[in-house]
Amino acid sequence: MMNAPNHIAISVKDLTVGYGDNVILQNVNFQVKRGEVFVILGASGSGKSTLMKAMIGLYPPLSGEVWIEGGNLMAAQGKERLALLRKFGVMYQSGALFGSITVLENVRLPLDEFSELPDPLKEVAALARLKLVGLGAAADKMPAELSGGMQKRAAIARAMALDPRILFLDEPSAGLDPITSAGIDLLIKSLHHFGFTFVIVSHELPSIYSIADRVVMLGSGAKGIIAQGKPAELRDRAADPWVRRFFNRQPDPSHSLEPS
Amino acid sequence: MTAAAQNELETDVQIRADGFVRVVLRGRLNEQTVVGCWSLLEKELLGTKVETLQVDVSGLGLCDAAGMTLLLYLSMGRMTPQATISVLGLKADLEKIFRELTLEDSQAFHPYPAIKRDSYVEKIGRWVGQTTMEIHEQMVFLGAIIASLPVSIFHPKRSRWAETRRIVELAGANAVPIVSLMSLLLGFIIAFESARRLAEFGAQLYVANTIMVVMVRDMGPLMTAILLAGRTGSSFAAEIGTMKINEELNALKTFGLDPIPFLVVPRILAGVFVTPLLTFYSILMGVIGGVIVMLGLGFTLPLILHQLASSVHLNDLGAGISKSAIFGVIVSAVGCWHGLRTEQGPSAVGLSTTRAVVTSLLLIIVADAVFSAISFLLK
Repeated sequence: MMNAPNHIAISVKDLTVGYGDNVILQNVNFQVKRGEVFVILGASGSGKSTLMKAMIGLYPPLSGEVWIEGGNLMAAQGKERLALLRKFGVMYQSGALFGSITVLENVRLPLDEFSELPDPLKEVAALARLKLVGLGAAADKMPAELSGGMQKRAAIARAMALDPRILFLDEPSAGLDPITSAGIDLLIKSLHHFGFTFVIVSHELPSIYSIADRVVMLGSGAKGIIAQGKPAELRDRAADPWVRRFFNRQPDPSHSLEPS
Repeated sequence: MTAAAQNELETDVQIRADGFVRVVLRGRLNEQTVVGCWSLLEKELLGTKVETLQVDVSGLGLCDAAGMTLLLYLSMGRMTPQATISVLGLKADLEKIFRELTLEDSQAFHPYPAIKRDSYVEKIGRWVGQTTMEIHEQMVFLGAIIASLPVSIFHPKRSRWAETRRIVELAGANAVPIVSLMSLLLGFIIAFESARRLAEFGAQLYVANTIMVVMVRDMGPLMTAILLAGRTGSSFAAEIGTMKINEELNALKTFGLDPIPFLVVPRILAGVFVTPLLTFYSILMGVIGGVIVMLGLGFTLPLILHQLASSVHLNDLGAGISKSAIFGVIVSAVGCWHGLRTEQGPSAVGLSTTRAVVTSLLLIIVADAVFSAISFLLK
């Protein structure tokens, strides 16, 4: 089953994703190294979230493969697939916390379903995850009582419940104020020290400069990757002018509303 | 001294008479070995008077998240509540995580605070307060509807007739197949049941009278209203409740639009219009069901029709139909009322829908009882 070198966490091979005849991403290839913070970015509607959902097996691709920690997620079935799913945790854009149970119970839920630990230890394990994201004091609150930033942090704690090696985060900073957003960045950096590999979908530039080791950029209408590398390099030296404009926050000259 | 090896973990528990306990862990502390280690420690430590607990982990080659959880559990004193606890010999990287996790006071974030139970006086007081508030809100709601209705009736251009038409179609036209089936079968049931009893008196012809009276005065309006409560009242509550959760109601308010004339009045007008029509149709289908049974029993059609015509007056039909209009108001108003009261959270819409159906059914039965009493007294 092993197919990738040891330092590769995720390998995406010739991935084509779409719905029926509508192809959104075509022949996408890239690799995510173990322990790196890897950011998928691009314009709105370029297929960032679709790519992430295909990588975690939510959207079956039209063709291609996704290998996670040496296992082919597209081909795996039954227990093998379950074992692969446990290698990563996912934070969805809205947090997707279960609203009818407390924050602690949200984090405990995967442990209750899959862990062999004795019940009292499960509770401590869930509390430990909440403490890691700074939400120890909010354990008994309901998700609706938390602010947007706290909900995202609680969702990260839940994603870490089964001790995965990889964390997928969909727009962790979207809709948050700069201070809360910086707090999430700091959390990602501190969790990074614990050895997690991060795959993050984002288009928040300050956040990307602060956390990303490497980025891939999806082009609007290009149906694939138009640039990849370190964010600062792409900002200064990308061949595609659209990529440079993106990183320098410059508007498209053809759509200017400035008075002539 | 107790020693046990669980797969690749060795656990030594040394208990001294003065309350000093030393636990030495060697090998791999992971999810597989934690379970066995936990059982052993629980067996040794529970019921033992421990004053000092020292956990030596310098011999651990591996400690994963599950292992760390066990160390946290021990250090929080969950197994030895009275003891002074220390964890020794953690490797530098694990020590950093461990410190971070134990920095806060572990008691400060205990997830289950003691629940304060109210006394009966407090419970009754709260119930009276909530009920009074609810009645007040219902009166305000009813007042707002009554105030909005004349605008719709006397200024038709300001009403949302397109929306009303859409709801008439959804609640009325689309309900015709189910009303047909239900009423036809209801006619069958009443006819069969009454035919058996009336045969004992040689009065099977009066099956026609039974069907007509029961369907026109009670079953037609009642069953149609019950069906509408389940089908339309619930959908009003769910639709308006979802709009509230999506902040669409706030969007209306910021445009200066009041949700009552904008959303509620069209639904009530549709309810008042549709329910009597469906009731009339239901009565017709029920009677047809009864006629089919009677034809099967050997009666001729002219005889059945004559018997049907002589069994009820136009007044009876009027009473049934006007009763159904009131039921229509009840179903629509209750559905909208619970929709508007929807709270936040994933179960809120479901809760509103359930409340709308239950309240509608209750009010329909109460209203029907009141109608029956009034008509009895008037005769």
